[in-house]
Amino acid sequence: MPDLGELVRAAVEAAEAGEAVEAYAEESTHTEVSAHKAEVEGLTFAESRGAGVRLVLPDGRLGYAFAADPSLDEVRRAVSQARENAVFATPDEHNVLPEAADAEPIEALFNPALAAMPTDRKVALALDLEARTVSRDPRVAKVDTVQYADAVSRVAIASTTGVAAEYARTDCWCLAVALAEDGEETQTGFSFRVARGLEDLGWEGVADEAVERGTRMLGAVKPPTMKVPVLLDPFAGSSFLGVLAGALSAEAVQKGRSLFAELVGQQVGSEVFTLVDDGRLLDGPAASPFDDEGVPSSRTELITRGTLNGFLHNTYTAHRGGAASTGSARRAGYRSAPGVGVSNFYVEPGIMDLRELLAEANGGVLIQDVSGVHSGANPISGEFSVGATGLRIEGDALGEPLREMTIASTIPEMLRAVSAVGSDLRFFTSVGVPSILIGEMTVAGI
Amino acid sequence: MLDRSLAEEVLRAARRRGGAFAELFVEERSSVSIRLDDGKVEELTTGLDRGAGVRVGHGTSFGYAFSNRLNREALLEAAEAAAASLTQGEAGNVVDLRALEPPVLHAAERDPSAVPAVGKIAWVREVDETARGYSAEVRQVVAGYADSVQRVVIATSDGRWVEEIRPRLRLAAQVVAAREGNIQTGVHVAAGLAGVEVLDAQSPSATAEIAARRAVTMLGSIPAPAGEMAVVLAPGMGGVLFHEAVGHPLESDAVDKEASVYRGRVGETLASTLVNGVDDATIANAWGSFSFDDEGAPAQRTVLFEEGVLRGWLYDRLRAEKDGVPSTGNGRRQSYASPPIPRMTNTYILSGGSKPDDIIASTARGVYVTALAGGQTNPATGDFVFGCSEAFLIEDGRVTTPVRGANLIGRAIEVMSAIDAVADDFDTWPGHCGKDGQSVPVGSGSPTIRISRITVGGTGA
Repeated sequence: MPDLGELVRAAVEAAEAGEAVEAYAEESTHTEVSAHKAEVEGLTFAESRGAGVRLVLPDGRLGYAFAADPSLDEVRRAVSQARENAVFATPDEHNVLPEAADAEPIEALFNPALAAMPTDRKVALALDLEARTVSRDPRVAKVDTVQYADAVSRVAIASTTGVAAEYARTDCWCLAVALAEDGEETQTGFSFRVARGLEDLGWEGVADEAVERGTRMLGAVKPPTMKVPVLLDPFAGSSFLGVLAGALSAEAVQKGRSLFAELVGQQVGSEVFTLVDDGRLLDGPAASPFDDEGVPSSRTELITRGTLNGFLHNTYTAHRGGAASTGSARRAGYRSAPGVGVSNFYVEPGIMDLRELLAEANGGVLIQDVSGVHSGANPISGEFSVGATGLRIEGDALGEPLREMTIASTIPEMLRAVSAVGSDLRFFTSVGVPSILIGEMTVAGI
Repeated sequence: MLDRSLAEEVLRAARRRGGAFAELFVEERSSVSIRLDDGKVEELTTGLDRGAGVRVGHGTSFGYAFSNRLNREALLEAAEAAAASLTQGEAGNVVDLRALEPPVLHAAERDPSAVPAVGKIAWVREVDETARGYSAEVRQVVAGYADSVQRVVIATSDGRWVEEIRPRLRLAAQVVAAREGNIQTGVHVAAGLAGVEVLDAQSPSATAEIAARRAVTMLGSIPAPAGEMAVVLAPGMGGVLFHEAVGHPLESDAVDKEASVYRGRVGETLASTLVNGVDDATIANAWGSFSFDDEGAPAQRTVLFEEGVLRGWLYDRLRAEKDGVPSTGNGRRQSYASPPIPRMTNTYILSGGSKPDDIIASTARGVYVTALAGGQTNPATGDFVFGCSEAFLIEDGRVTTPVRGANLIGRAIEVMSAIDAVADDFDTWPGHCGKDGQSVPVGSGSPTIRISRITVGGTGA
């Protein structure tokens, strides 16, 4: 079996004169354990490998082809397929591959202890997580889902423009969905954490948090419609960050699909709102030495104290927009060519802790979960209307639980209305967000 | 792809520590996809994907392992890994494999691989040109075309041998329109478990025109009202709601974990007596159909609701064996990389006796929803939420101004019980359903239906 470096080099060597060829290969081993009623519900092992070839003809036409677990001959065949496919594309002078650049390795991305961890330990961890979840509170006797998973992955990229980069990483994560019950009523509580090694995962906290988030919703009522301060907890806030990420991609801007297109240099959010994408931030789970086309990762401040600075670029959008790549090429694995995406995309934390934020939001609502964001938020117009669950805020504490609410506004209005940002920054895969206080918002109920 | 003697050897290896059954799923998928965006054919991608997954089931637990490699060594290694989830036990037997006859076939009449790439590019260009020609307010068009052929072989230790070829074709149009700083999008899709005949039934221009009409219509929209009111769902859309709010809680894994609002309630009236609902994988060439599910169980039609009475669950093999009933053929997976779980296929609310015009005319005030953007549901509580991508006010029995930002929010049983009219103009909507990180093609269908009272979340008065 050829190693990843051999695969990508074989593809690049198959380039013909005048062509630009890039090969991206990845392999991963993934283990997933789910536990239910003190037993292993499922144990999944996965080993996968694949390579994708991007080829640009001299006139700027682009073709793509991929193959799962290719031999050296099959990866060369993918090059000829990409060449055949390119013939049908529209010429575009901005289809260029990045030039080689040295990316500083990030050793901490690979945790040898995690990579060497035996399966028994993972199984025990999932069982412990389930046991802990159902033993914290008499109202939580069952779980919907408890899962531990990890992955060891390697990526290699090579191109005719001189890119030759490889790196390895480890990731582990766990989640719990607790079922809290009281008589006929059921509520669910979700928690999730991700890290590069077990010692940083804090999985015990996942059980406690799932239980707390489920039990505190018991007895929830549908509130009357009201206009009040709204505190978005990090779980709820992270959903909105996904919408922002789409609108801040240069691809969306160049194609007329971003609400921020004409607003560079303008105040788009409140003074307390700073938004960053940083592919080298070790605290973030999405750190990597380079992006999915081999451009070194970097830190980009997209919004500084409310002012929009610019957008996220890959090599294509940078060339087209006369800008520099921000190291934001992202692809959904080897099956597709890179688009523009985020790395560690996060809201800069403030200094207030949760209690101070609650005091500030007295009389308002803490939103702990929003639903329907992928369908209820329009990343082009910025309008959204989503379902929400949460709790009333009384003084500096949480009060009555609330369900069947909707919150509706626009992204720009919400950003302008941010009145405080908490110190509790928390990452969920690639997005990170602290608690965010919105001065006033309509919460619709009865 | 695989000979039977090797399949038997792999199944024996997987049962070396017993378990209730072992299963081998082998897949090869070739695909073509084309993306046109910003007036340019950005990318034509071809790919070949293959792999095999081995599962050992015991109770409602399982061990699963997969590999991209299909040689003997790799398959036996996967079998060993899957068996490792059982820590002790005696080797189980493997019954001689016998091929099963499919209950229904979904062949492509016109094979997409016989169409040269130029022909496929002409379809995405047709979408672009039609949409841009629809109105000067159309600013951007994305056309996505994809066809694939998935070849599947499934072998099980109890002697099941299934081979199936699943052809799929899909063409989607997304149109952005703008007027004075107001930007709106419209989407429409044609798709089937079939070949090029999908586009004979609904041409690329027709798909483009509907998407463009939606985007341009919504430019004239006002913010949706908020509060409780009557909502009329256009043909197909009731099926989308039924899928999310009712279908997911009826999947047997949710029921088994006591995480379903419907648990223990078969035989009770939990919807309006006007509601007859089914899940049906046998509908010829429908997007969510197949001949066998991904565990080798034959496709079937399963009645979920009969005149409002809950009739049963959607079963995969693990949950069916636990309950001592036959699988309903709802064990599906995204690919060899995932173990099968209970999923829907084509989920429909069947036609009733009302006329759509009468339903609108008898609605004094409410919202008429012609396109849903998708939704989310919590099976344990039945709480759901839906975004509406195209909707209108109903005023004095007439459909009037378009509204934006409308959101439907409610609880499954209450909302299904509030259906007070079901028309006879059935239609379907092809989509993708995501669950546990796996996406599978599903169909939704319904005639026009009315919900007498449901919460609409909007920003208007």
